[in-house]
Amino acid sequence: MRKLTKLAVLVAAVGALGASASEASTGRTTGTLKGAGSSFVAPLVAQWQANYKSSEIQYNPIGSGGGIAAITSRTVDFGASDAPLSKDQFAACKGCVQIPWALSATAIPYNVPGLNGRLHLNAGVLADIYLGKVTNWNSPRVKALNRKLSLPDLKITPVYRSDNSGTSYNFTDYLAHASAEWKSKIGVGVNANWPAGIGAPKSNGVAAAVSQTKGAVGYVDVAYTLKNHLQFAAIQNKSGKWALPGLRGIKSAAALITKVPANGELSIVNPPKAAKYANAYPISTFTYVILPTKTSSAQELRRFVFWALTNGQQYGPRLLFVPIPKVVLSYSEKTLNKVKS
Amino acid sequence: MSSIATPAAARAAELRRRGRFRPGDIVLHGLTLLASLAAVSLLVLIAWKITDQARPAIHDFGLRFLTTKTWDPGTRQVFGAAAFLFGTAVTSLGALLIAGPLSIAIALFLTELAPRWIRGPVGALVEMLAAVPSVVVGLWGILVMGPFVADHLEPFLHRTLGFIPLFRGDASIFGLLPAILVLTIMITPIVSSVSRELFIGVPRDLKEGALALGTTRWEMIRGLVFPYARSGIAAALILGLGRAVGEAIAVTQVIGGNVAIHWSLFQPGDTLASRIASQYQGASSAKQVSAIAYLAVILLCFSLVANIGAQAIVRRFAGRHPVAR
Amino acid sequence: MNEMKTPLRRRLVNLAMQAVAVAAAFAAVAVLAIMVVSVAKRGAGAINLDFFTKSPHPFSFVPVPTGLANAFVGTAVIVGIATLMALPIGVLTAIYLNEFARRRIAFLIALALDVLNGVPAIVVGIFVFALVVTGHGQSALAGSFALAILMIPLIARATQETLALVPGSTREASLALGVSRWRTTLSIVLQQTIGGIVTGTTLAVARVAGETAPLLFTSSLVGDQLRADPRQALASVPLKIFEYSESPDPADHRQAWAAALVLIAFIMLASTVARALAARSRRKLGLTR
Repeated sequence: MRKLTKLAVLVAAVGALGASASEASTGRTTGTLKGAGSSFVAPLVAQWQANYKSSEIQYNPIGSGGGIAAITSRTVDFGASDAPLSKDQFAACKGCVQIPWALSATAIPYNVPGLNGRLHLNAGVLADIYLGKVTNWNSPRVKALNRKLSLPDLKITPVYRSDNSGTSYNFTDYLAHASAEWKSKIGVGVNANWPAGIGAPKSNGVAAAVSQTKGAVGYVDVAYTLKNHLQFAAIQNKSGKWALPGLRGIKSAAALITKVPANGELSIVNPPKAAKYANAYPISTFTYVILPTKTSSAQELRRFVFWALTNGQQYGPRLLFVPIPKVVLSYSEKTLNKVKS
Repeated sequence: MSSIATPAAARAAELRRRGRFRPGDIVLHGLTLLASLAAVSLLVLIAWKITDQARPAIHDFGLRFLTTKTWDPGTRQVFGAAAFLFGTAVTSLGALLIAGPLSIAIALFLTELAPRWIRGPVGALVEMLAAVPSVVVGLWGILVMGPFVADHLEPFLHRTLGFIPLFRGDASIFGLLPAILVLTIMITPIVSSVSRELFIGVPRDLKEGALALGTTRWEMIRGLVFPYARSGIAAALILGLGRAVGEAIAVTQVIGGNVAIHWSLFQPGDTLASRIASQYQGASSAKQVSAIAYLAVILLCFSLVANIGAQAIVRRFAGRHPVAR
Repeated sequence: MNEMKTPLRRRLVNLAMQAVAVAAAFAAVAVLAIMVVSVAKRGAGAINLDFFTKSPHPFSFVPVPTGLANAFVGTAVIVGIATLMALPIGVLTAIYLNEFARRRIAFLIALALDVLNGVPAIVVGIFVFALVVTGHGQSALAGSFALAILMIPLIARATQETLALVPGSTREASLALGVSRWRTTLSIVLQQTIGGIVTGTTLAVARVAGETAPLLFTSSLVGDQLRADPRQALASVPLKIFEYSESPDPADHRQAWAAALVLIAFIMLASTVARALAARSRRKLGLTR
């Protein structure tokens, strides 16, 4: 009799657990906001996690694609993406807004041992490297941009993001602007049919692959590049000058924005030739937080995002995030008010 | 004793004696039946749910999916499994090619050739290889084996066997070859433990008879044990293959995530399971999600066929040689 | 008795084949040793009290002492609940298979269980995601459910094998004495198979404790804080190892090695205990192997 009771209790317990599992909400306890997405903005979000006291912020840097998927299925409270939502994605998200909340740049780290200076690259050469047309570091096109360096006879291994990545969107956006062949063959997107190189998941993965593979070149947000002590290249902008992904270069690129369109989509790659953009770093990008317009945690979310847009920006410069310009800030604040419970 | 051969027959006998059910019996019968149905229905549910998710992709691409090399989640949204079918085939068959003979040799060692006192410990050690989780094998693969392969193994193969297209190309820590090695490590314990069971089941008097007739140990193995256990070994190999095909984590850590079909084993590639693991969570369009689910359907079909095939061989084999178990 | 000497060639071939077999076994043991030693060497250094009591620290330029406390707690919760889910189903299914089912049904159910055992873990992961997580969010319960699916065939098979070893005479004697069928099964037959059930469960726990794929989509969006609420997603040791293995940071690698060491130690301990229990229960049932 005892054994049967034990068995019955076990079965009942399993049943109860099963029932509660199927009814589990996002598992939110009051005061926790769950987010996921862009690994690009993760270093800044980590600072916000440490300094924002009104709620507990949980953030998983699974990539912009993952962030969009997660907020679309309402698995999280907010999603983060460097790639703006497409029309289809807006529709699938069923009433979401995208709010630019941070601004930084994509660096081009490389692993070429024995160089006596910084590598210089431009969009044309980068596009051809990733198209598989330039395959060695001592090829004439690379040499032409780096006359002062002694380049070794070493195969170039381009590293790309294998997961759906907003950084990929930024990088392909830049390449498409500068290379007609890239634009027609590959296009712009969070992922692509990469013709050459090796794929690694997440910013972490790309940084790891570049540091472990001799001759590798990749694209990673500048905070990760710095953290992992990777050398990054100087990129030639349209004004002909060599720009670095520092605060000055990013700020100069962001000056491109004078007005924010209704859907919040901003592109600041490859600013045109002008005195204003003389120092612009051409692979800069805004990054967005994606919020549902109707959510039960609207009040907490609004408070957090408003704080991030204002007070939170002060933690940016150390990580090479430039505080968002005023015109973007006013758009973001206005759009934030659309989030209601 | 012989009149009551199975527990079910025992029940029938009891019912005949009593002529009625006890309520507790019905409850237990019902409860256990429910549990069994739940377990079996899980299998059906899995197959149905995955296929359901894949339905849009199956509708869009049909069987073309199996021969399309492109995987473009960008603007064109064209998906195809050919590159992953290639990667899965190369890595799994490559692993089987190495692990198969290796495991059989290990099983022979443990059952025929080793002194008795060594069989237990070594057997336990080989089984412990199975206990290492795939993520740990992958961790070791990236950080220890990968650099060794890139710095020593691949250049060596290139120097000695570079005339074969398989071993041309630049050395790299990610690629099909590290994936093959990792899978070999993972399937060796399975194939060797099943083979071990088979070899133990060969009747001793047959073996001793052959030895008494003057055959060497190896000749006895080749002429008696292998033919006797032939279909069982086939089943073991199929089980190993099924395991290799389904391995996602260790493979995705070392294979490099590239969508391509090429001869060189040194180059990165991708398999069905590994692509699912790396892209499912971040799939940003419904089309991509269903394309990945389509990959899962292919994977599931294959592992079902491999599993059922292996089971069928084992059962038919067990039926023919009732002595062997 | 046999005075004919076997020709040299045949003896050499024999010797060569034996050498091959020895080499193969040696290679397998060597690989295992290399792996375990790698893990032990690299992981031992990072194991300290902090490792078990602190949780990970978010991105920082300066190294901060951290640990994986949240992952250990998470794995304990997830695997524990998975066992609670899988054990009743596995045991009851085995009882049905062995005590009630007719031959053909039993064959089909056993086949279904074996096939379920061979379903790749990644497929189970996306199944549970599509069934439970979409619309409701991730949770440790979803992860447990996925692990339970992997455990059920193992527990059912181990239980069934042990049930089959209980002699029919035991059942007959009990029934002949007038004990009802359900009482016979539960009190008498089951009692003799407890050893087998515990063995099977321990082996199943050892197997799923290291599984990453089922948790990848069901319990991966986790924070750094120590949590134990199963209705939320919880961190887990295999997922943390996976995450850190793909990081470029050597500090993360050290944590991964340490976690791998703890995981392997746990799994090997559990497997050894299970084997010892199995040997003991076989002795109790009067069998030798």
